[in-house]
Amino acid sequence: MRGMIAALAVTGALLLPATVQAQTRIITGTVTISGSGQPLPDANVTVAGSTAATRTEASGQFRISAPQGNVSVVVRAIGYKRGTKDVPSGQSSVDFSLEKDALQLESVVITGQATTVDRRSATTAVAYVSGDELTKAPAPTFENALVGKVSGVNLQSNSGAPGGGIQMQIRGNNTILGAFDPLYVIDGVIYSNATIASGRGTISQAAFATAEDDAVNRVADINPDDIASIEILKGAAASSIYGSKAANGVVVITTRRGQAGQTNVTVLQRFGQFRPTKTLESRHFDEADAVKIYGAGVAHWFDNNPSPYFNHFDQVFTPSSLSFETVADVSGGTDRTRYFVGTTNKHDGGTERNTGFDRQNLRVNVDQNVGERVKLAVSSVYNRSTNDRGWNNNCNNFACHGYAFAYTPSFVDYTARDASGNYDTPDWGIQVNPVQTTDLAKNHEETNRFTGGLNINYDALSSARQSLKFVVGGGLDVFQQNNNLWSPNELFYEQPNTLPGAAVENNGNSKFYNWNLNGIHDYEFTKFSLHTSGGVQYEDRQLRTSRITTTNLVPGQRNVGQGTNTVGTENLTQERTLAFYGQEEIRLLNDMLLVQAGLRAERSSVNGDVNKYNIFPKVSAGYRLLNLLGEGSELKPRVAYGETGNLPVFGQKFTLLGTPQLGGVTGFTVAGGAGFGGVEPERVKEVEVGLDGIALKSRLTWELTGFRRNTTNLLLQRVPAPSTGFATQVFNGGKIENRGVEAMLGVTPIQRPNLQWLLRTTYTRYTSEVQDLAGLPPFRPPLSGFGGLGVTFIQVGKPLTQLVGRSFGADGKATTTDVPIGNTAPDYKIGLVNDFTYKNVSLSAVLDYQHGADIINLTQFLYDDAGLSADYGSAAWEYRMKGYNGGVMTPYIEDASFLKLREVNLGVQLPSRWVRSVGLGARSVRVSVSGRNLLTWQRYSGLDPEVANLGSAAIRNNLDVAAYPPSRSFFFDFSLGF
Amino acid sequence: MTMTTTHSIRTARTRTGRRPIARAVIGAVLLAACNNFDVQNLNAPTAETLTSSPSKEVLARAAVGAQTQTFTSIGGIIQQWGIYGREGWNLLGNDPRETGEEIRGPQDPGGRAGGIWAGEYGAIRSLNTYEAALANASGLTPQEVKAGLGFAETLEAWHFHLLAIRSGPTGIPIDVDHDISAPPAALVSMADAMAAASALYDQGLADLQAGGATFPFSFVGGYTGFTTPATFVKFNRALAAKLLVHRATFAACAACWAQAATAIAASFITTTGLPDALSTGVYFGFTSAAGESANPITEALTSNRYFLHPSLVTGAQLRANGQPDLRLSTKGAPAPAPRTLNELTGTYKPVMYNLPVSLAPNLDADIPWITNEELILLRAEVRWNTADKAGAISDLNLVRVNAGGLAPTTLTAASADSAFITELLYNRLYSLMWTQGTRWIDARRYGRLATLPIDRTGDVVHANMLIPSAECDARGLAVPCKIGG
Repeated sequence: MRGMIAALAVTGALLLPATVQAQTRIITGTVTISGSGQPLPDANVTVAGSTAATRTEASGQFRISAPQGNVSVVVRAIGYKRGTKDVPSGQSSVDFSLEKDALQLESVVITGQATTVDRRSATTAVAYVSGDELTKAPAPTFENALVGKVSGVNLQSNSGAPGGGIQMQIRGNNTILGAFDPLYVIDGVIYSNATIASGRGTISQAAFATAEDDAVNRVADINPDDIASIEILKGAAASSIYGSKAANGVVVITTRRGQAGQTNVTVLQRFGQFRPTKTLESRHFDEADAVKIYGAGVAHWFDNNPSPYFNHFDQVFTPSSLSFETVADVSGGTDRTRYFVGTTNKHDGGTERNTGFDRQNLRVNVDQNVGERVKLAVSSVYNRSTNDRGWNNNCNNFACHGYAFAYTPSFVDYTARDASGNYDTPDWGIQVNPVQTTDLAKNHEETNRFTGGLNINYDALSSARQSLKFVVGGGLDVFQQNNNLWSPNELFYEQPNTLPGAAVENNGNSKFYNWNLNGIHDYEFTKFSLHTSGGVQYEDRQLRTSRITTTNLVPGQRNVGQGTNTVGTENLTQERTLAFYGQEEIRLLNDMLLVQAGLRAERSSVNGDVNKYNIFPKVSAGYRLLNLLGEGSELKPRVAYGETGNLPVFGQKFTLLGTPQLGGVTGFTVAGGAGFGGVEPERVKEVEVGLDGIALKSRLTWELTGFRRNTTNLLLQRVPAPSTGFATQVFNGGKIENRGVEAMLGVTPIQRPNLQWLLRTTYTRYTSEVQDLAGLPPFRPPLSGFGGLGVTFIQVGKPLTQLVGRSFGADGKATTTDVPIGNTAPDYKIGLVNDFTYKNVSLSAVLDYQHGADIINLTQFLYDDAGLSADYGSAAWEYRMKGYNGGVMTPYIEDASFLKLREVNLGVQLPSRWVRSVGLGARSVRVSVSGRNLLTWQRYSGLDPEVANLGSAAIRNNLDVAAYPPSRSFFFDFSLGF
Repeated sequence: MTMTTTHSIRTARTRTGRRPIARAVIGAVLLAACNNFDVQNLNAPTAETLTSSPSKEVLARAAVGAQTQTFTSIGGIIQQWGIYGREGWNLLGNDPRETGEEIRGPQDPGGRAGGIWAGEYGAIRSLNTYEAALANASGLTPQEVKAGLGFAETLEAWHFHLLAIRSGPTGIPIDVDHDISAPPAALVSMADAMAAASALYDQGLADLQAGGATFPFSFVGGYTGFTTPATFVKFNRALAAKLLVHRATFAACAACWAQAATAIAASFITTTGLPDALSTGVYFGFTSAAGESANPITEALTSNRYFLHPSLVTGAQLRANGQPDLRLSTKGAPAPAPRTLNELTGTYKPVMYNLPVSLAPNLDADIPWITNEELILLRAEVRWNTADKAGAISDLNLVRVNAGGLAPTTLTAASADSAFITELLYNRLYSLMWTQGTRWIDARRYGRLATLPIDRTGDVVHANMLIPSAECDARGLAVPCKIGG
């Protein structure tokens, strides 16, 4: 590796003695906002064909040195369309008036650890969402707020529980065993999205002990109000800068920073509520039927009412407590020092009694110029998230509500109490009362997190022709998650237990840090420019989880020390990566043609051979055709090829011994997973082509991308013949292909001073195919589902997401073998964003449509098993029961298509004379009402087609077993700007 | 590594003394390069622990691990084979398969019907690894090696025996001691599999006899009285005898009757000290200690989970005083309330693993593996089939009188075979109820599956379990698969 460093140093040294332009002149001017005429501070001013750059002051004024002769001055600012003006040799001043950039034509796109390029020139598809778009309607997490707004990305909630638990999938499934979530990078800091199960399943006796805990994925800690922009690197050519952590795409989040100029203070107050959107009905009973089935003991339920009927959802899932969010930001600064301080306090009530989600944040971002050449940027945030997740999903002792509802006849009133105020002892067959469960059982989570980053930019050389800078970046992301669960002895479902009463103390400690050093050299020739960069990056990730579970508690006590049967577990995973990279970017033909190529070489501690450097190349090109579709139009064909990787999961190279304990002695056993000492990263190879355009005087823009990505060298888990004594073995091999089309279209049909209408739509379609399994027979992947109740099944020639199970054959009888019965991947998704602005009033709405995808309705299966389905005795019921009795799942596979009105926001910017009359000294006042998930159209007969009993998984199983029901929210916002 | 690093840093300083950035870059890179990338797994011992010249202590751990693995499936065996054979029901209602698939079918080789397989082969892999490790162990005497081998072979034979019973005509793989990358072992017939298990018991016997005075490891609970090679031999012979009787009936092995008689004689069978001595034997020694294996069947009387099949209550013979067979009244008790689920009503709870008198759950309750009571019944069966019918009647009566409190049987040496078998199976059911699925196995052995009670129209009695889907998949065979198909 010393050779590589030397090469880097030599490159830098050769370019150092630069020619300095002898003759320069000064151009001054002012930048204002079109319409209002207000000065625009902190806009970026450059001179085309030179490296000169400056920023406007608070007054909107700038001063820049330029070469002699005719030059072109370009002004850019986030959220505004660029301004370009020719300045002849004799002219020394020029003014600009910038228009708002509703279609986001002016954003920049990341091309490397420390390099970017204008979106107009970008050679790969990168989704961009601004912070303003995320916070129109309040969202529990930023992922909720992204839904419907970006193409190529599939975002689905695992349940309706408050506070997150969402899976983001970029360009389809690319793995079976490897990491399946994108890499998250916030202000240059690699950010953990670990999902740490709470341990609820150990109390509710879930079949898959931790997967069914409905855990939060930890990007839920990110405060949407902090976000300035999100860029999603979708394809391998774009994401290959993150090497073998980038196979599932990279989500790059930039937080808000201060701008030079006057101090801005914003205070936002929101109030709202979450309400259940749907409940399930149950079979009606008369006394005779009830007594026949449940015995004479249930006759008393009919004492005062011949046909009692209670919807049990209504007794447990009710409109939430008052939800609120307070956001207060202060930002500002001078040309040399800029700061942003943001605080948030948020409470989302849950619809399940005694559940909810709270988050507090304090962010401090500071930018400081040191001397003329050094810029320092510090980002830091402290988050605290707390969560009460409730008792849902699959269980085996009725401690999960939906499961209990399915087995409780409708004449039972959970809220009934006896003379002394105690809940009636269950006499309806199952030993649980969910209302009592929500009263007494605790499922609490608290996470404290600090994320801090530092970026130092050193301008080593800056001349009219060339510049050299060094960028040092890095940061730390640490969190501690604690789960505290208590299932008290007196709960009806605990009483039959041999050791009643349970408590769980669960901890997750995560520590990520990373740093990188970059050298960036730009050389502007008259006809073309060269941009060379290279660097080194080091990443260290560690996650330690531990859990103490106890049973047979002392009555009334919840401390894990107060039980007699206590078990502790601990797990530590560690990963280290060292990478070297270099890339070259050539801009030709007056910036019309852009060609990029790069290489990344990295080693990682989780690979079998820790000394081997894996190489990830990328190459891409884009050509801008101007004025082809009319004055000011652009058409850009582009093509890219890239490779990324997906690291082995920690531990895959080790064969561990089992350590069962008996008689006070811990024994060793072989069995379980067999390790693979030569394990390597998976490799994604992707070709991407695109055709982007801007037309109709910048009122129409689109991005059209087709891609084909092959994941080879898959991490596969052979299920060896169980007779070998091993349950699993990992190896590399096989191939998955994902191909798809994604499109984004933005248009402003109406653009008048008083009335604007902005419409943006996204389209995402992809299909996967298993092309090779390296000789493996078809197999059930981990967490594929429940035995004969419909499972995902990996088979060559089939989509990764197919479901198999028994079906009805041509003869109407159950097939003897499993056959394909569904597919959990949607055919396509469409998002539609509409923004209307009339004078001071704005209305925005986001629609989200999913077509296709199948879901397994095991909740219905439970009702049928209990004989309590609402349609008991009907033809539809008979059809399902035919399947139920024959082990056929097809009657329980349903269409998961949906159309959801995700967001609506109606806001008014109060006229300034009203604001003055309020007299708080505020500059602006805005009030708005908003709602999320207000309307849903679905074919699915269950609660919500967006559900995953087994949580986030590489291959989503769309399994509905008594999940936390969905909710809709309404908020009233009041915002003051000072 | 250390030397090179120091040298590099010194060189870098000289060269780049005036360029702080370059110095920082190179310094940082070297820092990263020096970080140890050979990150170990600190969560558990790795397989190398057993394969690289293991110590006596490590091997002792492996022997204990092998013992724990015999506990793994017994709870599932009692429940599933008990449900198959109508010894009992699980009426909790949380899993539809317990009153559906297991009683009504169809069997699912991807789920319940494919169970009691992977755990057994996992145990066999551990035992084979232990046997291989003994060969290159350090610090063991040759006798200790033999003793370890004899112990391991006995347990291995037991696992193969269970597998052969569960699978019946589908066959099972036997030659499984190969690397994981080798092709799956061939399926062999039930008769051949049982013969192979017999050979393993015999090999175990030979090794135990050469095994000196002590084992080089400790025993978990349940082996009291059988923890030296000399006494463990009696356990080995008891299990071997049970297998031979199964071979005689399942696989029509006529010669097995005589071999069984020899094995029983070499076991711990005794007729002195009855009735207390009926319970002499080896048990699965469950314990309520934290993190250990608790009795998987015991539960509160109020629980809706386990119930005796009503035919056990109605079918119990009466004692002279008009009360039912003692074995019913000590092993079962009326439930506080009847439990009905899917048209099945349970009224009697199994309490053999609960505390006496109070009938409270007892997580420490041991489950019989093989006892003197079973050996006497095995000898009765062997004697009937080896021309000692009087001896058979006498053995049967030992159990009837001492365990059941019943009068001696009215059968005589002149009675028909079928009458004797009916009486034998009655006593085996009540002596061995809720231990190893005896009713189901016996009904299969004697072609009497059709005599088991059918409680609902459409219910069936399964004749065997299926080869798990994963095993078929790994062989490229369609599910469900079986030998020769």
